[in-house]
Amino acid sequence: MSSCGMCVHPGISHPGKPVLINCRSPEKETFTCRWDPGFDGGLPTTHHLYYQKEDSDGMYECPDYQAAGSNSCFFNKSHTSIWVNYNITVVAINSLGSTVSDPLEVDVMYIVQPNAPENVTVSVVETEESPHLLVKWEPPHEADTRSGWITLTYQLRLKRQNKKESEWEEYASGKQTQLIIYSLHPGEVYMVQLRCKLDHSLWSEWSTTTHTEVPDYILKERSIWIVVTVFSAFIILLVTFTLAMKRKYVKHCLLPPVPGPKISGLDTQLLKSGRSEDILSSLINQSFPPTISTKDQQVDYLLVFDSEQVTPDLQNGRTRTKNSIDHGCYNHSLLMKVNNEVKVGSREMVEQGYSEGLESTFRKTKSLSTDVTSHPCPQKKPFNNVTETPKQAPVSSKYRSLSHHKDLWDSLARHLDYRETVVKSQSNCDDKHNLSSQNIVTPSKAIGCVEVQRWTKSIGLQVQVPEMDKKQEDYSKVSVVENDNIVLLKRETVPLNCTSCKVRGNHSEKCLQKPCKPNMTVPAKEGVHIGSNGYVEPVIITLYKM
Amino acid sequence: MSRNNIKQVWALLLVLVCVELCGSGRASAAPICVHGQAGCHFLSLADLFDRVIQHSARMHSISSDLHSEFEQYVLPSRNHIGRINRHCHTATILTPNGKENAQRLAREELTEVILKLLVAWKDPLWQFHQNMVHQDDFNNFSSNKALEMSYMVHELRKGVEKVADRMQNLGMISNSLSGLSSPEALDPSSDTSGESQAMSDHDLLYCFRRDSNKVQNYLKILKCRIVPENGC
Repeated sequence: MSSCGMCVHPGISHPGKPVLINCRSPEKETFTCRWDPGFDGGLPTTHHLYYQKEDSDGMYECPDYQAAGSNSCFFNKSHTSIWVNYNITVVAINSLGSTVSDPLEVDVMYIVQPNAPENVTVSVVETEESPHLLVKWEPPHEADTRSGWITLTYQLRLKRQNKKESEWEEYASGKQTQLIIYSLHPGEVYMVQLRCKLDHSLWSEWSTTTHTEVPDYILKERSIWIVVTVFSAFIILLVTFTLAMKRKYVKHCLLPPVPGPKISGLDTQLLKSGRSEDILSSLINQSFPPTISTKDQQVDYLLVFDSEQVTPDLQNGRTRTKNSIDHGCYNHSLLMKVNNEVKVGSREMVEQGYSEGLESTFRKTKSLSTDVTSHPCPQKKPFNNVTETPKQAPVSSKYRSLSHHKDLWDSLARHLDYRETVVKSQSNCDDKHNLSSQNIVTPSKAIGCVEVQRWTKSIGLQVQVPEMDKKQEDYSKVSVVENDNIVLLKRETVPLNCTSCKVRGNHSEKCLQKPCKPNMTVPAKEGVHIGSNGYVEPVIITLYKM
Repeated sequence: MSRNNIKQVWALLLVLVCVELCGSGRASAAPICVHGQAGCHFLSLADLFDRVIQHSARMHSISSDLHSEFEQYVLPSRNHIGRINRHCHTATILTPNGKENAQRLAREELTEVILKLLVAWKDPLWQFHQNMVHQDDFNNFSSNKALEMSYMVHELRKGVEKVADRMQNLGMISNSLSGLSSPEALDPSSDTSGESQAMSDHDLLYCFRRDSNKVQNYLKILKCRIVPENGC
């Protein structure tokens, strides 16, 4: 082979420029420099490293090319000076030429990078509360920490193997060579890595991964249950507290109040007070004409009087003809009190012993009643039953007996259909009526009234239920009230009215087709008819012996 | 009679004042803890060393920050000339360049080296700080750091002197360091004053970063050689 200085073979040239990669010192006592050889030019190329120190003159060559592998130069302890600048270059030489790399200035102090920690051991320590990981390791064996020349600080990182996309958790360990890690997931496999660095040097590489498995334990579930329990208890407490605060609203929502019965003019408080006179007065005290919106509340009251005179004060400006049936009675208070003023043969106002409110009424109408002389026995149906009224004593007894029936009054007031019930008494009808004077409770004012006719032998309220058209039809006398909802009516024993079974009106009636005989007694029958307005209407006409 | 009384009063007052002053002089001695006296907080030598080492570590980190700031912001705008010809004014001080070299030195010599270094940097750093205040190259943050650096050098020197005193008291080192306290022996500024002023800011920072690292390492070696039980 000839040295061809001028000829150039294809693919052969002087070597390319090598590049110094870096120099590293693992323990601050030695260091290694590595380079990239570059293109060798197709010929065998050798590389040489030369360095120059700051504090001494002269170029020196690398003392050891092998120790650190190929393309490296290893400076041992004797060749290493700290705090001294090295100027290092690499030269690539082949047969065609040589190429010098760029110089690299190195101060060992600042190229330190330790090796990874060694002998990493991870153990699971199980305590009653929670297991934890105990990680122990050792510094790299070449680092001299005993003489204080090197101070290492460590860093650990942790990751769960099974959970995907989980991040590494890093923990700083300072200068310690062990670390305890808490809050582990049971049944998981953990990966642990470590690295270290010198005082202000670069971090080392991460050590090899150490795997460890944490065994399962129940504590975690228990803690979840505890959390769930506490949370639900809190929620329940909150709900209970809210309900307790809003007791009324809850009660209103769940148990809506039942609407009580409403009867116009009926005062429940008054009923509760138990004063009968007030009760009855309130029952009857109603304006005339009764302006009741609903039929349920329509309460007709008994208007009982006997005079054929005009009693203008009975109504508000309305005059009544005698034997006329007027609507309703207007002074409710009349019903109450009986004044024991019974006059035979006269129009009397009887005040029952119920309330005092009738006194004035009676007095007022007393005057009117005095004129009742002889009104003829009505050509119309004699509807009056005037019974003999004894003196006051029996009156009182009657009234007393009546007074016992104040509950009857209540029910009567409630259940009877109080239309205008005008009981007229013909006090002057003589014995063919076989009536005695009657005690009539007449209304004084035209507010409404109840006239009670009473007779000696029978207890009852002669109730006349006139028709709306004010016809002088049959009137049924109540003989007795039974069971709070049955009214036994007494048929008049007036022979003229033997066939008075045709009480017209809105009510259907049953008639007992009995012969018109006195001394006949027909037991009362039921026959309570509940009218459309909910009141019990007297429909039975019974005959009985007076 | 009144004159006698007055004289007596004055004499009494004088006596009282004298007793007060003399008594106070005797009673309250300066509370200097020497040799672990009772009643004052005694710092062990290991604690002193730890404090000094921490101090030096902080000093070094500040100097590193300043140097990197300088190289990042200021240096690109200047011409980079004569980098290899850097010459620190403390080059005259012989310092060990390695672990074995440092371990081969005697304790007294090592302590002396440390003190020499610290003394040598007090004035140049102060000068550097003064220059920085008037210049626009550095911001206020760097100026504060320079001030802190110069202050820390001063403090560190006092600390090391205390450590040396303690070591001498404990008999760990000989008393050959007593001559070090004199500023004339240690201060190289008389010799190298011209050189220190010729240093550029960049060189100054570079040199100080290196020297602070030296101090830190020497102190650590000294500590582990004298009190090896804690953290060595």
